[in-house]
Amino acid sequence: MDNVKLEARSLCAGYTSDILTDVSFSVRGGEIMTVIGPNGSGKSTLLKTLAVQLPRRGGHVYICGADADKIQPRERAKKISVLLTERVNASLMTCREVVEAGRYPYTGFFGALIDKDREAANEAIRLTGSEGFAERDFNAVSDGQRQRILLARAICQQPEVLILDEPSSYLDLRHKIAFMETVRRLAEEKNTAVIMSMHELDTAREISDSALCLKDGRVFRSGGADDVFTAANMTRLFDVSEEMFERYINTYNKERM
Amino acid sequence: MKRRHVFAFIALAALTVLALCLNLAFGSADISVSETVGILFRGGSGTSYDIITKIRVPRAFSALILGGALALAGYLLQMFFRNPIAGPFVLGVSSGAKLTAALVMIGAAASRVPLSSAAMVGAAFIGSMASLAFVLLISRRVRGMSMLVVCGVMIGYICTAVTDFVITFAQDSDIANLHSWSVGSFSGMTTENVIVILAVTVPALVGSFLLSKPLGAYGLGEEYAVSMGVNVRLLRTALILLSGLLAACVTAFAGPVSFVGIAVPHIIRRVFRTSKPIILIPACFLGGGIFCMLCDMLARTVFAPTELGISTVTAIFGAPVVILMMIREKRGGMNG
Repeated sequence: MDNVKLEARSLCAGYTSDILTDVSFSVRGGEIMTVIGPNGSGKSTLLKTLAVQLPRRGGHVYICGADADKIQPRERAKKISVLLTERVNASLMTCREVVEAGRYPYTGFFGALIDKDREAANEAIRLTGSEGFAERDFNAVSDGQRQRILLARAICQQPEVLILDEPSSYLDLRHKIAFMETVRRLAEEKNTAVIMSMHELDTAREISDSALCLKDGRVFRSGGADDVFTAANMTRLFDVSEEMFERYINTYNKERM
Repeated sequence: MKRRHVFAFIALAALTVLALCLNLAFGSADISVSETVGILFRGGSGTSYDIITKIRVPRAFSALILGGALALAGYLLQMFFRNPIAGPFVLGVSSGAKLTAALVMIGAAASRVPLSSAAMVGAAFIGSMASLAFVLLISRRVRGMSMLVVCGVMIGYICTAVTDFVITFAQDSDIANLHSWSVGSFSGMTTENVIVILAVTVPALVGSFLLSKPLGAYGLGEEYAVSMGVNVRLLRTALILLSGLLAACVTAFAGPVSFVGIAVPHIIRRVFRTSKPIILIPACFLGGGIFCMLCDMLARTVFAPTELGISTVTAIFGAPVVILMMIREKRGGMNG
């Protein structure tokens, strides 16, 4: 067993034409891979394609060794869950109900929850530290709490692969750290593979085991986090001068980048 | 099920029975309550017997079932468009159904072909689907839900204008009652009508109920629904067909009835404080039935023997609910 949870081979993706071409990578259980790159480089397109929100335009995706095309939607939902940037309007739902929605692929025809489903929801709520507001109305809690609930929903789906599209966008520093700690714990305890797109390079470097850099619809660099997150790579990836990069980004950990 | 929901369902059931009784007991003909009870349980004969069994019973039941159908159609359209002010009337679905139904009615009258209730429902269904297709086409091009509603209202006006035009120039005594139908009314229902109404509405209600689980997931957003394994395309098609069929059935028999489709699901959501379709679907159906029965009773009795159009009464009670809803919406979401 090589423990590869998700693998992409020569993936091409896009809406009406290829936005991404020839993307290949693999993610193992317990590994956190961040996807970084400039705006419009295809990060969201990649994640949407992996989550099968967008049909592939070429190449192959393997989920736990099986061709993604040959997996039934319901089975796929037990393997991959997502946290997207799409706004969720869950009016008249408590936070707990939103989390419980993640049990969808496991419940019966009418979606009734059994004890096992409630336990999974409780555990997801505990893992994300959401006990304090679980019974409150989803639309009444703060952005940061909402994001934790949506993560709990994704966790509640008990996936092998967790896909997070810019999950830290709405979070302040404290919640961002708490969020990343939760993701780390999940990867370690449940052997979940995590694929996460991010803008914040410092956070990405801290959380990642590996990284995939996208630029102009192609893979610019990929590999272990230490090899990818270098000042030379980052300045070329984002087309910024080394001087500017030093001034704005690299002020805290000069010795490392 | 939570205790709140159990109590609310018991209250809805009690109100349904109460509204049915009121509708059977009161009307333009003066029949005492004890006489009504006697006729219902022991039978009888004569004018009073005929009024109760041939007029009031079919009318009350058609108001109950069609009201439920209308509220359910509204709820399904609101889920589809993710918009609490969507409904068969504001989106022009009822008016579309009215147009094709009127055309078929006049055509049948002119060529002296007897028209069955089922054929009327079929004709109305074509109209409701045409309107929905048009609204869907527009919804891809406009951003924002208020624009969608404005477009729906415009479609409604166009259809109504054409219908009025056709009715004005159709000079046939057979369509004498077309006018009261075209403004909306539960009058003139027969037992045969009620059977056809049941045959269309009950399967649609059961079908909607069976969609409860995917519908709940769809409520979180289309992309999340896909990621949880919902066949979104199939679900959306089913929603359109079911809501179109329900709205068509109502329009074929009672003409266009306004505001029930928006106001009732809204009140029901407030009372039940949930978004779970498995609870809201039966609750909306009962709520719509109660609302329409009570409105129809007012329409018949307030200015008896003159009858008000059913939409006149539903608008008086329904429109303020919609206005309140829009004000609350602006103030910060649907929570509360």
